[in-house]
Amino acid sequence: MSESTFMGVPRERIPWFPTIDYDKCNYCMECDKFCPHRVFERRDGEERKLVVAHTNNCVVFCRACAKTCGPDAITFPEKPAIVALIKRIREEAKDTP
Amino acid sequence: MKYAILPCNGLDKPVGPLAREVALWLAARDGGELICPVLLGNSPDRYARVLGALPLLVIDGCATQCATKLANGLELKIGRKIQIAEEVKRTGAALGKSLTLGPDELGLASTIAAALAKETAPLASATADYATPQDYIEAAHDKFLFKVPAAGYFFNENDVWVQPSASANRARIGISDFAQQQMTDITFFGPPTIGAEVEQFGEAGYVESAKATLELVCPVSGRVVAVNTMVSETPELINQDPYGQGWLVELELRDFSADRELLIDGPAYAEVVKKKAAEYS
Repeated sequence: MSESTFMGVPRERIPWFPTIDYDKCNYCMECDKFCPHRVFERRDGEERKLVVAHTNNCVVFCRACAKTCGPDAITFPEKPAIVALIKRIREEAKDTP
Repeated sequence: MKYAILPCNGLDKPVGPLAREVALWLAARDGGELICPVLLGNSPDRYARVLGALPLLVIDGCATQCATKLANGLELKIGRKIQIAEEVKRTGAALGKSLTLGPDELGLASTIAAALAKETAPLASATADYATPQDYIEAAHDKFLFKVPAAGYFFNENDVWVQPSASANRARIGISDFAQQQMTDITFFGPPTIGAEVEQFGEAGYVESAKATLELVCPVSGRVVAVNTMVSETPELINQDPYGQGWLVELELRDFSADRELLIDGPAYAEVVKKKAAEYS
C-alpha cells in the first residue's frame, strides 16, 4: 500500500481506531464481518478471539463498526480531540521550512 | 404520523422490552398498527395489508438491529427507524439490567415516544439557492468512472460534499459519486434531528445499503435546518443524482471560512478518489 495520509497528515500520527471492551464483547464478530478494511483480526483458540490488529487501516472518523455492535463494546476517541490534533500537525508542517 | 410499527420486542437486553413499550405508546397515541416480529418472521402474509397501507417504522433495541434485519430480509421498505439504545444515550438516562420495566423505564419509554412523535418539519426562514453542477471532473480507475463537480462543491476525505448557497448563509451536504458507487444500491437515509447543532466532522445522519453503512461526517459546523424528505422516500435518488436531487441535509452555517481550511476542492478530491479507488480494488 502506498504511504497513507489523511487531510495531509501521515495516517500513523492519527490515533483513530476502535477499542474493544472485552467485558462486554460476546465475539459475535459482526464488526469484523462488516468492516471492509481488515482492521480487526480473529484469533481462534485464544482468550481474546478478536483483536484490533491493523489500526492504520481504520478510516479516520468512521465509526460504522460500533454501529453494528449489539453489546456496545466498541468505542472510538472523541472527534474534537482528533480534529484539534490534525489541525496542530498541519500547522506544524506549515511552519517547517 | 400513523405507521406500521415493527419493534425489536427482544429479551436479550432491557432495550428490547423498552422498544416494545415505545411501540405500544406510539400505537396507542397515533392509532398505528403493531407488527409482532415473531409472527412477521413466521407468517409475513399476515401483515401484507397493513404493510401495503402504512409506512413502516422500525424500532430496533440495540445495534444488532434484529428488527431492521428482519425487515430487510423480507424486502420491506423502511420509512423511518430508531434505535432505543441510542435514544437512551441521548436522554442521558442509565438503564439497569432487569428485563422488567419499572416506573423509571416506563417514563423513559414515554419520553422517547414523545420525542419521536414530533414531526421533522424544516426550520424554513430563508430561501437558499443551489446551482446545479455544470462541469464535472471524471476520476477514472479500471472500468469505473467517478464524477466530481469541478466547482461550487467542497469535500472532506470521508466522501461527503458541501455546497454553500449563493444566496444565504446555508449549505447542503451529501455523499459523493464515489461513495454511492462503493455502497451500491442505497436503501435507507437516517436523517439528523432538525434543529440539532453539528460540529465539523460530527455526525449528520447516515446512509445504508445492503453492503455498508456510511456515517455522514459533516464537512461543516452549523445547525440542521432541513433534511431531504424526497430521499427518505426514494433513497435511490442518492445513487441516481448524488450532487443534485440526492442531497441529504441543509445546514445554517456557523463559520464556513474556518471550516473551509480543512476541506478540499473538486480537483483535489478527484485525486483522493483515484487513490482510494486504487487502494480498494
